[in-house]
Amino acid sequence: MNTTAPVYATVPVLSHERCAGDVLRLTVGTASAGDPGQFYLVRCWDRDPLLSRPLSVHDVGPGTVSFLYQVRGRGTELLARLAAGDTCTITGPLGNGFRIGDPHGGKKVAVVTGGIGIAPALHLVRSLAGNDITVIAGFRHEVYAVDPFRLYGAAVRVVTEDGCEGTKGVCTDVFAAADFDAVFTCGPMPMMARVAALCAAAGVSCQASLEARMACGVGACLVCSCATVSGNKRVCADGPVFDAREVIWHA
Amino acid sequence: MLETTLCGVRLANPIIAASGTFGFGEEYGRFFDIGRLGAICTKGLTLAPRSGNTGVRVWETPAGMMNSVGLQNPGIPAFLERELPRMRTLGIPIIANVGGGDIDEYVEGVRRVSAADGVAIVELNISCPNVREGGMAFGITCGAAVSVVTAVRPVCAKPLMVKLSPNAEDIVAMAIACERAGADAVSLVNTFKAMAIDIHTRRPVFEGVTAGLSGPAIRPIALRMVWEVAQAVHVPVVGMGGICTWQDAQEFLIAGATAIQVGTATFVKPTAMLDIIDGLERWAGDDAAL
Repeated sequence: MNTTAPVYATVPVLSHERCAGDVLRLTVGTASAGDPGQFYLVRCWDRDPLLSRPLSVHDVGPGTVSFLYQVRGRGTELLARLAAGDTCTITGPLGNGFRIGDPHGGKKVAVVTGGIGIAPALHLVRSLAGNDITVIAGFRHEVYAVDPFRLYGAAVRVVTEDGCEGTKGVCTDVFAAADFDAVFTCGPMPMMARVAALCAAAGVSCQASLEARMACGVGACLVCSCATVSGNKRVCADGPVFDAREVIWHA
Repeated sequence: MLETTLCGVRLANPIIAASGTFGFGEEYGRFFDIGRLGAICTKGLTLAPRSGNTGVRVWETPAGMMNSVGLQNPGIPAFLERELPRMRTLGIPIIANVGGGDIDEYVEGVRRVSAADGVAIVELNISCPNVREGGMAFGITCGAAVSVVTAVRPVCAKPLMVKLSPNAEDIVAMAIACERAGADAVSLVNTFKAMAIDIHTRRPVFEGVTAGLSGPAIRPIALRMVWEVAQAVHVPVVGMGGICTWQDAQEFLIAGATAIQVGTATFVKPTAMLDIIDGLERWAGDDAAL
């Protein structure tokens, strides 16, 4: 889609709050927006660590973009220290997001997420409003970021591996692909591979948002490539959202 | 003010986008006017298309990064047909970086690329650490380097710049050997052979075990090598290795480089090369005013 030209800019942190133990929501002031499934490179340090962190667009408001991210390493640990009034540097929006089709198509759609893969789902669900939306959100233990979906009329099914909330198990235990006209998924690769296989078996279209370690984020360096039926594709520039049938899941 | 000449090719400034970090000059056009650069080196090209390496391809290190892309490229015929015509519209010199699996592939690749209108200089890649051939295999010993440079020289219709590996047994001897074999310039350094181990799996992070280290971490060593080589050869030296700022660039120019290449810094800041050009222009202006 690439509907918005990307910017490289230092922007103010407007808010930053903890949603769960190691999951935070960072909101910055920028008019650069982004489509559901697009991402930004984010950094708030000089040259160490060297690379920026690719974070998907969680939410877009008037003059704001939010990111939902999990603290995984040094980069996200540094991001987690940001407070309102600080600044960070963003490059984006980048990549190709979910193809929404007719947003008022009245279709039955599923958004299947695992863990922090829930990050792009809010902006996606809002863009899908007008459809009959079911969000199936899986977590290991702690549940986060699921409440806002209900504002857009989505049914929400929570699944936890330890059964502490919702259904005990994993997303695919409660996901019947044949019940839907279209499926969108983001989460760990093994989970998305199962979702993709279930959709393929049911003949249902499925779009998957992949995650990869990136350097340039714009398609120039080829370090984030993924195997597809039409050869290597760049997760950053050809994706991160792919038609699930294109992806070679067990490459 | 910064205009320079490299192998008879006029560069508006001595700042060149390094091979493998700038694609075919399209992607970063969304962030700045690429026409302001001195030149662009293409992604490393081989005669036949290559899909590159599987597994992890990038890993961060203190002040650096390792990559193991493995010369993924569409092949020289596809480059000439699809990428070069668009690159030519950028209006700046194009340096085609050519690798190969064996001497025959190098020769045919260089012959075809150097014959193309719009290719100003051929950069011969004998220093990619991420493929067994094509390869740093030709960049470690002087004998192997001489064999490939000697073979491609007669078929190269454009100036021939040989990109050297810091993993060479003796980089000064290597530069001298390439000069004698017919190189019109040398560029250095490519990435340093490096590795990382996943302590949980006790396995190397990269499927190929080793990968190429770039970024500020290598800059002082790269600078030392450029300085040593610049004193030993008569052909122009193009310096690179972790250059991020105009001051870094100036160090390499003072050490004897005719021009410099910037790679990893562009990942840190898309407009890093413009900042370097602007910084050098201000510096040159202040200098001229004294």
